[in-house]
Amino acid sequence: MKPSFRLDQHPRRWPQPLSSPPAGYFEQLPTRVMAQVAAAPTRRPLLPAWLWQMPAAVRTGLASTVLLGTFAASLWLNSAPTGPAAQPVTLANVPQEQLLNYLTNEAHLTLLDLAELPAQNLASTQQYLRPSATELTEALDAQPAEETTIL
Amino acid sequence: MEDHEILLKFQHPASRNLAFNQLVRKYQQKVYWHVRKMVIDHDDADDLTQDVFVKVWKHLENFRQDAQLFTWIYRIATNECLSFLQSKRRKFFLPLNDVGSELVAKLEADPAIAGDAIELKLQRAILRLPDKQRLVFNLRYYDEMPYEQMAEVTGTSVGALKASYHHAVRKIEDYVTNADIPSYSSDEVD
Repeated sequence: MKPSFRLDQHPRRWPQPLSSPPAGYFEQLPTRVMAQVAAAPTRRPLLPAWLWQMPAAVRTGLASTVLLGTFAASLWLNSAPTGPAAQPVTLANVPQEQLLNYLTNEAHLTLLDLAELPAQNLASTQQYLRPSATELTEALDAQPAEETTIL
Repeated sequence: MEDHEILLKFQHPASRNLAFNQLVRKYQQKVYWHVRKMVIDHDDADDLTQDVFVKVWKHLENFRQDAQLFTWIYRIATNECLSFLQSKRRKFFLPLNDVGSELVAKLEADPAIAGDAIELKLQRAILRLPDKQRLVFNLRYYDEMPYEQMAEVTGTSVGALKASYHHAVRKIEDYVTNADIPSYSSDEVD
């Protein structure tokens, strides 16, 4: 019967019995590697290095907070009334007198715009402007002749 | 230079190249021999060693320092070796034992082992092991790496590594004991 081979009784050769690399190989290898990496840029990290240096628990907590914050913000933004849907309601609540003041003082209406208003609704002119006969006469007298003709 | 110094200097563009050069000088022999034991051929080991350090360069900024720097580098080297052997089989449509035969042929041509019949049998037995088991055997037997560190390198549990090493030793002892078989044949599956 053959004697059994026992690995622990066999003298270990280290490193594995392989021939050594060529002479000077390890002196040249760093230069060759550096030449290769010069053409290979480092991959930019997705997150800054200081973030990776934090403990894993802190990183997890931070990520959860950011996620929850994003969720809450998106929820809040979606629940806020949007412009076009709310516009009719808002305008309906503004007193008509204020609207008219805005239109006459801020909206740069021309005399032509104002001239068309009584044609559409004569009562509105009387309701909001409430002119007296004297005021009307004075206003008409002050207008140039060619513009008064359209009234 | 200590690892933390290397990493600190690597963060600054002005000292990045110097730091990386130090890193290569510090770990090149360990990486080379780790790779060489897996692929046997010097030219393959040379190519793979350079590939490993290029990968280290590309990803060092993302290194989290959860593990030791060397363990991380070893892991990259291990993955490169396993991918290389796997791609070799795929590329040439070689079955497992043909790649093993090729490695054995390279080993037998190496003058470092000529004339030592027992050692040649031992090395042939090691090359019969599946790649991952051979890796485990090399890390434990030749590098004397602690199982905990091996677990980090291979991503395998300590228990599984101990079992794998134990089986590898038994297979090797059985093979060397009965190794009058001149031809190479493998019945191992990864």
